[in-house]
Amino acid sequence: MSQDYFTRRAFLGTSSAAMGQLALASLLGQESASAASHELMRTFAPKAKRVICLFQSGGPSHVDLFDGKPSLQKYHGQNLPDSVRGGQRVTGMTSGQSSFPVVQPIAGGKLCGPGQVYISDLLPWTQKIAGEICVIRSMHTEAINHDPAITLANTGSMQLGNASAGAWISYGLGTDNSNLPAFMVLVSQGTGKNPGQPIFSRLWGSGFLPSEHQGVLLRGGAEPVLYLDNPNGIAREHRRAQLDSLAAMNQQFGESSGDAETFARIQQYEMAFRMQASVPELTDLSDESPETFELYGKESRKPGTYAANCLLARRLAERGVRFIQLFHRGWDQHIAITKQLPAQCRDTDQPSAALIMDLKRRGLLDDTLVIWGAEFGRTVYSQGALGSPVAGRDHHGRCFSIWLAGGGIKGGVVHGETDDFAWNITRDPVHLRDLHATMLHQLGLNHDRFVYPYRGLDQKLVGVEPAHVVKAILA
Amino acid sequence: MRSISLITLFFSYTAADAAEKVVFNRDVRPILSKNCFACHGFDANKREAELRLDERESAIGKAESGKAAIVPGKPELSELWHRINSTDPDDIMPPPKHHAPLGPKEIEVLRRWIEQGAEYQGHWAFVRPESPPIPAQAVEGGNAIDAFVQQKHKEKQLTFAAEADRGTLLRRVSLDLTGLPPSPEQVQAFVADTRPQAYEEAVDRLLASPQFGERMALPWLDAARYADTNGYSIDGGRHAWLWRDWVIKAFNDNMPYDQFLIKQLAGDLLPRATDADLIATAFQRNHSITHEGGTIPEENLTNYAADRVKTYGEAVIGLTMACAQCHDHKYDPITQKDYYQIFAFFNRLDDIGLDGNGGNNARPAMHAMTPLTTPQEVEKVKVDLAQAEAEMAADNAEQQARWEKQQRDMHVQRGKDFAVQPCEILGATTPNGSPDRLKVMPDQSLEIHGGDFAAYTVSTKLPAAMKTINGVRVIFEPSAHAKNAIGYTGGTFVMTTVNVAATGFPAGNVDPNAPYPLKRITASDQRAGFPVVALWSSDPRTGWSPAGGAQPQHVTLTFAKPLDVASLPYLTAELVFNYAGSQNPGKLRVLAFTGETDDSELPADVWAALQVETAQRTPEQAARLSQYFREFSDERAPVRHRVVNLRERLHVLTHKHSVLVMNESKQPRKTHILERGVYSSPLAEVQPNTPAFLPALNKPNATRLDLAQWTVSRDHPLTARVAVNRLWEIAFGRGLSTSTADFGSQGVWPTHPELLDWMAVHFIERGWNVKEMLKLIVMSRTYRQSSHTTREMLESDPLNEFYARGPRFRLGAEAIRDQALAVSGLLVDRIGGPSVKIYQPGDLWRAVSHYGSTPATAQTFVQDHGEKLYRRSLYTYWKRTLPPTSLATFDAPNREVCTVGRTNTNTPLQALVLLNDPQFVEAARHFAVRMLRQGGADDRSRLLYGFRAVTAREAKEKEIALLESALREEQAKFQGKTPLARDFLTIGESPVTEVFPLEQQAAWTAVAQLLLNLSETITRN
Repeated sequence: MSQDYFTRRAFLGTSSAAMGQLALASLLGQESASAASHELMRTFAPKAKRVICLFQSGGPSHVDLFDGKPSLQKYHGQNLPDSVRGGQRVTGMTSGQSSFPVVQPIAGGKLCGPGQVYISDLLPWTQKIAGEICVIRSMHTEAINHDPAITLANTGSMQLGNASAGAWISYGLGTDNSNLPAFMVLVSQGTGKNPGQPIFSRLWGSGFLPSEHQGVLLRGGAEPVLYLDNPNGIAREHRRAQLDSLAAMNQQFGESSGDAETFARIQQYEMAFRMQASVPELTDLSDESPETFELYGKESRKPGTYAANCLLARRLAERGVRFIQLFHRGWDQHIAITKQLPAQCRDTDQPSAALIMDLKRRGLLDDTLVIWGAEFGRTVYSQGALGSPVAGRDHHGRCFSIWLAGGGIKGGVVHGETDDFAWNITRDPVHLRDLHATMLHQLGLNHDRFVYPYRGLDQKLVGVEPAHVVKAILA
Repeated sequence: MRSISLITLFFSYTAADAAEKVVFNRDVRPILSKNCFACHGFDANKREAELRLDERESAIGKAESGKAAIVPGKPELSELWHRINSTDPDDIMPPPKHHAPLGPKEIEVLRRWIEQGAEYQGHWAFVRPESPPIPAQAVEGGNAIDAFVQQKHKEKQLTFAAEADRGTLLRRVSLDLTGLPPSPEQVQAFVADTRPQAYEEAVDRLLASPQFGERMALPWLDAARYADTNGYSIDGGRHAWLWRDWVIKAFNDNMPYDQFLIKQLAGDLLPRATDADLIATAFQRNHSITHEGGTIPEENLTNYAADRVKTYGEAVIGLTMACAQCHDHKYDPITQKDYYQIFAFFNRLDDIGLDGNGGNNARPAMHAMTPLTTPQEVEKVKVDLAQAEAEMAADNAEQQARWEKQQRDMHVQRGKDFAVQPCEILGATTPNGSPDRLKVMPDQSLEIHGGDFAAYTVSTKLPAAMKTINGVRVIFEPSAHAKNAIGYTGGTFVMTTVNVAATGFPAGNVDPNAPYPLKRITASDQRAGFPVVALWSSDPRTGWSPAGGAQPQHVTLTFAKPLDVASLPYLTAELVFNYAGSQNPGKLRVLAFTGETDDSELPADVWAALQVETAQRTPEQAARLSQYFREFSDERAPVRHRVVNLRERLHVLTHKHSVLVMNESKQPRKTHILERGVYSSPLAEVQPNTPAFLPALNKPNATRLDLAQWTVSRDHPLTARVAVNRLWEIAFGRGLSTSTADFGSQGVWPTHPELLDWMAVHFIERGWNVKEMLKLIVMSRTYRQSSHTTREMLESDPLNEFYARGPRFRLGAEAIRDQALAVSGLLVDRIGGPSVKIYQPGDLWRAVSHYGSTPATAQTFVQDHGEKLYRRSLYTYWKRTLPPTSLATFDAPNREVCTVGRTNTNTPLQALVLLNDPQFVEAARHFAVRMLRQGGADDRSRLLYGFRAVTAREAKEKEIALLESALREEQAKFQGKTPLARDFLTIGESPVTEVFPLEQQAAWTAVAQLLLNLSETITRN
């Protein structure tokens, strides 16, 4: 009985971690009746090969950063009219307030680039890439608190138990680099609010998808991937010899028992061994030029910072990792927004912009979709007394701003519009599921047909409500 | 797992050849359900053309168009037949916008079905199970199960495989029934025991062992989404383990499964309910609970009740009901009203919408004794504790002298060349309250004005005049705003932990994954109970506190290596004060120092006593020193851990503990149908009741107890089928229906429907006897077959759906770790109690949590010690937002929601865990010693012993040769390299034995790792 035969069977078994569902379906060819329906998932040539998601956890203030307008100065200090607020529910943190005074942006801003994209002066570096980005000012979500909101933004549903966007994409497309996981996650803590709102492994979890698709954490510090390092006393060449012995034993067992999984397991141990080299090579920044560090800012030299993670994101993109997700905490400015928000911007502005510039000059931006976004925005009204140093802004889901770049998205444009109070959407609303649909579209996946059967339902990243690709922003 | 969905479609056994009669439930219903029911089914709101294809009457009647969708016996007259074959995009069904055209095989099945009369059947799982006759042809050496399996074999031209070899069989049944492998001695005895009843005796022994309950509990914990934290965003700690212990005991006592369910669904409503009955109801309190500020209580309560419905549906009756929260179910006859009637049963608790913070159980909760306590264990623990305390109290002059020397050596240069210079404070932040609470004063001090659970991050510039510095000192000073004391509220403060980072730029925070490493933490003073060494741990239950008052105090951090100020001129310190909420300092400043610090880890009186020659010490000094040595020295850590763990265990066994429970509120909430499931959009009010398509409850004012009794009534079509299907899954790795949590229309048709029904009825008639049913399964010839697989077998039955060979699958996460602990002899077989925190890299919790900003517990990972590192894996502390990393790598779920059946993957990260996790490296070390001690005198017999321990079979000659060669290689690697061997062997907290030379131990430990990593070892054959 040949090993080839079992290796092929192993693909049919449980172990084709590096292979996406689409690739698998075409491999099976005539053998699978459902391959045809899987082909239906893919209807057009993908514009993007990978995604970098710069998730700003906590809810950055769209009012201050991307949706500033003269009307806000005009109404500054006045109570938000009931007609605008409508029946909008507010969180338990401000529902007891007796007044809802409008607060103008805490800093100035300008219209940047040929597209006249409004960007706050708190983000001078982002202003420089105004020609590359598409700002969507008409994002919206039903959620008004962190847990349901961030869960919706990352898994397509407020309910627990669903698969994250990265896991979906790993499941669908696999990886281009068999030495690294398809989906990697980097977490940093901002200086504005330390600690920020908690985040959780559900946001990069596999939910109902096989757990091999969950995001792998890449940490700052000594052991970037959990359990990566050999035990003390076992050098790399020593481990090599050990794995050879192990493979020989496993080969023996696989042949005598006919267990296809065992042959697959031999391959998984080999990949683990390769990862032990490829991950340190990935996180070792010594081959980066001083000019690159300069571009990303000084903090990029310090492992674990947002800046260092942005630089790593580029390195991951270069290495073919499919879905790269950064979580940066600390954007929950209920209090002291005048102090906290500038600090959050200082952490993130330069590195985010540098990443776009760096991807572009290396020719990677065209096929890398970059998403800078969050779970919701913040209220135009003051949480706490107007003008108090303790005052901030509460959560706001009726509209918020994000930006996209690369991956076949138009640069230098603004999509959607809100009212004079940056409270309600007046044009081109984009729900989070529309964003997911658009992201899948750019990767060549149809959001309605890319499904996974579970618990009696064809599960989708976009959920059961209709979702729409935002065609207007496609290049 | 991923590809199973791909291949089942192809290989599943439809009535492929024209001669065979089409069976509606098997062949037709899946096609209609998947393609038609969404628009022509149960959901009245989405129904098109007034046509229902789920009911024969509607399907053969005249639709809106006036035509009949189906004319029995006449496909060519049936509108359905024309529509599915149409090429006109306006006519074709399913409509093109669904992007799911029917395949030729599906169309053919429908044609033959109409031709044969278009007979409908009620959905198989919705009709009362009746016992089919056992097929007449008996199976030699088999039981009723085998007769059903054999019948299917005949259809498929298959036959039973030979019985598995005896060692493999014993390992299989041991792992299935107890989650642990047999010992090498048990294997040898079993292999030698040729009596016909030997196997049955082994089965009886395993079913009677206390480990049976632990193993059986595990899938139920997944289904019941059991965890030790509340979930959602903050994910603070809770106390739920009494329920887990109740489950273990229920399985060990072989509680009838109907009682098992009744007590968990409504134990509180039973007449004369015992504490144990109340504990059982925690089943429906295991859901996630939020205490995120700002969330809306009514919304939260709606989510909790919805989760109870979901779990009841999937875990108990095998129905996915969640769809009907927002609309009528599209595939099953569950209306939205049905949904909220079930919801109503679970919406009458006295729970409130924002609760459970600070480590307190969300109400309703109660205190009760653990159901697992026994007088025997209490006595045993008392004896062990007395012995440990005696050992703890005993002097050991030799050890103490060694320790004293270490202490004196560490202090020999105390204060040498010590010089300080102030750091410039650039800014300071804290997560909550006014930023003005922290004020940088002109004199470079930082003033602090109160604050709860506070982490202060202080950003400084190091004094440029110093070229290299050896560390920093934080001085706490009295201040007028703080009643002229060092503590903000007067008196003193308690500091929980400290971290620093050095950077080339002013940084605002310290990454917990990459702090600047410290060598020593010392202080000017320490109060009893608040030692400075507590600062090494992030545990908010411990901390450092100096004497209070106007006297300045300081803490000093000595770096592991001197810091070059020119390259890293900025230093950030994170100072955490979250001990018991609010114990803050009033004013501090930061200094850099060169030379050797002039303070100490030791309290002043201990230091003073240490200065005196042993013989010259006063009795008080001698006693103090000895007491301090016992309390704080590393040498005494093992016995200290033993004492602490035994004291806790005694407390667990002899005191009441908190657990969340269900109750009935005196003023229960009303339940309404919610428009699109939204809590704030109530429609009509509904009363508790059961779905109309299932047997009627016929009871006004029905209670949860009525629901529970209805659930296990003889007429209920689902409960028993679901239960036996899951028992089958334990033994075969997959259910007879593989959709274990979904027996609805979209569920997977069982491979052996008659067998499933026979077992379900048998189960009920035998009193829902779990052990008896499992015994029947594992005694069957079907179960006892060899799993040896040939190419022909893979061709004829790739997924082993027809059982012409034995089942084979990878062990679950817990079994893999437990097996490693068992073969190494490290496993501690204590049952039940609070969950334990095993080895885990770094503080992963803190990097994502609210630590330093909340009274919630479980925000920082504090590893346990001693026996708690070696308990069975089901006792591992389960934090939902970051479940135990090594177990999660092997597909353990996060337990945020009901999980029935895990995926089973094969990944490189699993290899990294088995090779590098300290838990497994340490287990390998002990396994090695076991081989050396118990495996005989020569290498060969020791290797045979080790191989037998992990596989339960004799190694073949070729395998022995490979192992011998691996051992020789390892011996060569460690030959003459004692320090290398020591590095390798000191992984894990258990002491290294000195009985065998370190080089020999290291080589054998490497071989033990090889054995623990064998594919065969983590596979159950």
